[in-house]
Order: sequence, then C-alpha cells, then structure tokens
Amino acid sequence: MRILLVEDTEGLGEVIREQITDEGHAVDWVLTIAHADVSLRSVDYDLILLDLMLPDGNGLDLLTKIRHSGKTTPVIILTARDQISDRIKGLNAGADDYLVKPFDLSELSARIAAVSRRYAGNPNPIVNIGALGIDLTKHLVYRDGATINLTAREWALLEAFIQRPGTLLSKAQLEDHLYAFGSEIESNTIEVYVSRLRKKLGSDQLETVRGQGYRMKLL
Amino acid sequence: MKLLKGRVLKGRVQKSRASTSLQKKLSISLTLGMTFLWMLALLVAVFVSQIKLNDLFDSALAETAQRIMPLAVVEILNREDITQPQNIMSFAAHDEQLVYLVRDSLGKILLQSHNAEPTDFNQTLLEGFSSSTTHRFYGAWAVQNSLHIEVAELLIDRKEAIIELALSFLWPLLLLVPLCLLGTWILVRYSLRYIIAYRKAIESRGSGDLSPVNVNGLPTEILATAESVNNLLERLRRALEAERSFTANSAHELRTPIAIALAQIQRLQQEVPTGKARERAINVESSLRKLSDLSEKLMQLAKAEGGGLLSTEQHDLISLLKLIVDDRKRSSVTCNATSGLVIDMTLPKSGVFMSTIDPDAFAILVQNLLDNAIKHGRKNQPVVVGFSEQGELSIVNAAEVVPEEPLKQLRRRFVRANTSVQGSGLGLAIADAIATGIGASMTFNSPASGRKEGFEVKVSFPLMIKPNDKVAK
Repeated sequence: MRILLVEDTEGLGEVIREQITDEGHAVDWVLTIAHADVSLRSVDYDLILLDLMLPDGNGLDLLTKIRHSGKTTPVIILTARDQISDRIKGLNAGADDYLVKPFDLSELSARIAAVSRRYAGNPNPIVNIGALGIDLTKHLVYRDGATINLTAREWALLEAFIQRPGTLLSKAQLEDHLYAFGSEIESNTIEVYVSRLRKKLGSDQLETVRGQGYRMKLL
Repeated sequence: MKLLKGRVLKGRVQKSRASTSLQKKLSISLTLGMTFLWMLALLVAVFVSQIKLNDLFDSALAETAQRIMPLAVVEILNREDITQPQNIMSFAAHDEQLVYLVRDSLGKILLQSHNAEPTDFNQTLLEGFSSSTTHRFYGAWAVQNSLHIEVAELLIDRKEAIIELALSFLWPLLLLVPLCLLGTWILVRYSLRYIIAYRKAIESRGSGDLSPVNVNGLPTEILATAESVNNLLERLRRALEAERSFTANSAHELRTPIAIALAQIQRLQQEVPTGKARERAINVESSLRKLSDLSEKLMQLAKAEGGGLLSTEQHDLISLLKLIVDDRKRSSVTCNATSGLVIDMTLPKSGVFMSTIDPDAFAILVQNLLDNAIKHGRKNQPVVVGFSEQGELSIVNAAEVVPEEPLKQLRRRFVRANTSVQGSGLGLAIADAIATGIGASMTFNSPASGRKEGFEVKVSFPLMIKPNDKVAK
C-alpha cells in the first residue's frame, strides 16, 4: 500500500515509517499539513496516518478538507489526545480509526490491515483466491496446506492485487503502491517482483495484459 | 488539641444553626404571635365585658329595688300591725337570683323575699351600692327614711356569667390555633417554594456538578446571594476547566515522549538478535508500559477528583458506551495480551439514556471498569456489560468469589484483591471518585447477581435532570 504519514514528532515518525516500510508498504512521511496537502494532490494514497496536533494546524482540519474534496481514502488518527470527545470529533470528521499514543507498533500494523480490509469490502482477514488461502493479518499464503513464504515487497505487491481483485493494474500504479517519493526504482522492478510472485504462487494466478499491466485471476 | 476541639464544637454549632428550618421557625413564631394577640384581645374583651355586665347587673339591682319598694310600702302600711314581719311566699318553686329585705329605720325586718337570709345582708342600713364577700347590694330609703329596702345578688352568679362568656370566646380560639398553625405552615411553604426548590437543587447535585442553579422565582432577599453563588460556580467551573485543560495538555506532552521511547524500543527488539540485549530491550519496554499506565491513571485520578465532571449539555450514555466497548474490542483483536476476549453487551430497547455527565468522565469510568473486568476476569470467559432503562450500568467478569473484607477495601487507592495480576490498584478508585463526583452510586458484588461466583460492579446514574431545572446564569 502507499501510505501517507503525517506526524511532526521526528523520533516517532521515523520509527513508524520503518515499521510500515518493513511490512512492504510505501510510506511518504511529512511533518506539516501544508506538505500533506501537496502530497495528497500528487498521489492517490491507499491510507493516511494522521497526527492531530501539527505545527501548522489541527489534523482534523486536513481530514475535513479531504472528506469535503470527495476522497474516501481511509484515515487513521494517531494522537496523544485520549479524550472521548476528541475521538468523537475525529470519527465525525471522517476518520476510520483512532489510535492513542503510546501504542504498540504491532497494533498499528493490525489497525492498518483492518481498515484497508474494510475498504476493500472484505473485513474477513482470510481470503481465498483459487487454490490460494491468504491470511491478511499474519501475512501468510497457503497452497494445498503448505505455507508459501513471501518477502515484504512480494507481500505488498500481492496485497495490491488482493485489494482490487480482477482489476487491471498498470505498472505505474503498482510502482506508486510499492514505492515512496524519492525511492530509486529500476525500470524492470515490477516485472521482477511479478515474476517472483508467479513462481511462488503459480504462473496461472497473475495475468499479463501486454502494454497495459497485470491482473490477478479470481479462479 | 483544645483548639481542634474548639473548632469541632464551633463546626457543630454552625451546623446546628444551619439546620434550623426557616419554614418551621416562621410557622411556629407566627402561630405563637397570633395566639398571643388573640389571648390578649380575649382578656381585654372579657375585662370590658365584666365592667359592662357589672353595670348592667347593678342597674337591674337598683331597678328591682325601685320597683319593689312602692309595693312593699303599700303592703306594710295596709297591715293591721305593721311591726309584724312578713315573709313573701312564692307562687311556684324557683331559684331566687335576687333577694331583698325591707326594714324600718331601726333595722327591724318588716318584709323579706322567701329565700332571703338576713345574716347575708348589711347590718347597717346603707343607701346605694355596696358589696360583701359573697353579695352585691343596693339599698334605698322611702317614706321619709322610715322604710329601707336592700336588694342582694350573689356575686358568684356574676362570676359564672363572666366565666361562661370567657369560655365562649376561648373555645373557638382552641380550634383556631391548630388551624392557624396549619394555615401558616401552608402559606409559609407556598411562599418559600422557590427557596425549597433551590435548596433541593443544591442538595441533589453531586460534588462534580458546577452548573448554575435555577434562580427563577427566588425572593429578592436571597436572589442576589443565589446569583452570587452561580457566579462563583461559573468561576470555579472555568478554573477547573483550565486545570483540566492543563492536565490534558500535560498528558499529551507526557504521552508523546513515552510513545517515542516505546516505539523505538519495539523497533530495537526487532533489530537485535535474540540474547541479552533483546531481553534488556523487553525489560525496558515493560517498564515503559508500566510508566505509561501509571502516569495515565494518575492523570485520570487528577481529573476524577478535580471536579467539572458534569457538562452543561446532555449526552447519550448508551452511544458512548457502545463506542467505548467497540474500541476496547478492536484493541483486543489487535493486541495479543487480550486476544480471545469476548465482551457481551445488553442494552435497553429505548437505546438512549440522556445525561449531563461529562462524556470524558463517563469514558474514564467505563474504561477503568472494563480494564478491571478484563484483567481480573477468567480468560476465555466473556465480560458482560449491561445498561438498564433506569440508567444502571453493570459490568460482570467471571472470577473466584472475592471475600467480603477485601471487597469493601477495593475503592481505596493501591488496593488490589488479586495481587497475582499486574495493575496499578487505581482503576476502581478512579471509578469511585467519578461516581461520587457525578452523584452516582457504585456497588461491588461478589458473587455477581444471579451467579455463584464472579465479580460485578454496578453504577446507578442519576436520571436525566429536566432542562427547566437548569438555567443559565
């Protein structure tokens, strides 16, 4: 997933970015509302992690602006304000979840997964596609009872297909999904990861549409 | 010690003075005052009546003498021997109120009424009115002072007449005194109804209620005081809000560095290989969690005891309860420590319970009770949360029966019934402080109601206060 992290506390933002990146997601980390605004105009994010008390304003104002613009991107609020009235304000402004600091990094990962599953229309963490069984919570893939080990990048790519089952995804879309701003991407990176996924999951799972992109077969 | 005793006594005196009922005092003093005035009026009336009655009786006495005398003269002069005394017989038996004697100038009795007793009369022949200890007399001369008549009347008859008159005034008064007391009581109560409502509004509020008290209808004598009290409450509320804001900001400032440290140490654990360094990282994380929990609880306790637990707006407690429980469930799904947790919730059909309790205070109360139930509840057995139509929250967890003595101590800070489970020992103390502050009652039951074991906390929230009972400044 391509995730926008809006967090002005450097020590915390850095750790969150590392954690999420390790799970295979691409994270753009910004420290202010102004930078978040710019990022949102240029990239279609899969999820936003939003702090509330930011140097140039309240994160809720940004959230309200996002919702007013018609974007339905899932938003998880990360804040040190624990009052239920703040939580209600956040949820009313259009947040999908609310995590109070300090939190476990594992809980953050789980909440990200839960929210993105909800948005994909399948809150069930176990997905079955053809002969494959996929546990979205534990990041595990099974075929005929045997576990298939995937690297973080391979998992992130698979997740992009699972989120849009049967949809044709262009190479650019997949790059956006996998890499943050400033990442160095080789021209054939996506082809390499698609090839590796095919080897592990089975060549019949991913279909190449020449000149357009890739699609996950539902059968 | 003496000083302390003196203060205690002074406090008692002040309390006893404060407990004097104005209604009672006014009713009794007004009734006593009216009774005294009535009695005074009665005495004056009896005194004046006595004088007038005496005048009337005297007049009747004189008139009787004047009427009898000519008849007696004719009677005596027509006798053959005028010196022979004669007793006038009556036509029929009757009780004589007036008796008389007709005597000559030497005092010899010539004529007397049949009940007349000569020894009762004056031995000296007097003219006009005179009195003995038992009788009132009127004497008169006739026929050139040769015949004297004296008419007598028993004084006791006059006294009886006065007593009967006084009693006829007194009987209605005995009926009027209780009626007056009742009437005064009702009148005073009616006049003081707004003051009584004001007193009840103050009495019924919890220590955390700083909303203004209704001053509508209060008499001008205490209106200024009541408005000053409302102003004071408003100032206090603002001061407490500032304190709460400071606490919230402090909590925010405290949480952020803890969050950084906790996240960093969790990353470190992932990065270092298994061994001593990792164990140390785990220990540091555990200490950070304890620090985080304790600082959180202390902040909550400060808020719970700081007042301002009621808001001026009404909120639906059931919606808040759902939100808190959902949040707890979501945390339990993603947190390994409480995985497998089931929270069963029973809510009333109406689905709404409006209250002026501050939503954050309610959330802290419920979160602490839920934390307690989850921590001390038997694993893999549900925590049961209920909320009744009458505003009673109950949270039940499966557990061994808590003996009576530790059960009583659970409200105290740093007291834990089960020391094998990690906890700050502040959760129930915070819940108790909030319940007290909002005027709710909190009870602990073990075994839980309708069970043979388990632990149950019940919190009865006060019913919604009608909007017209709450008036802005």
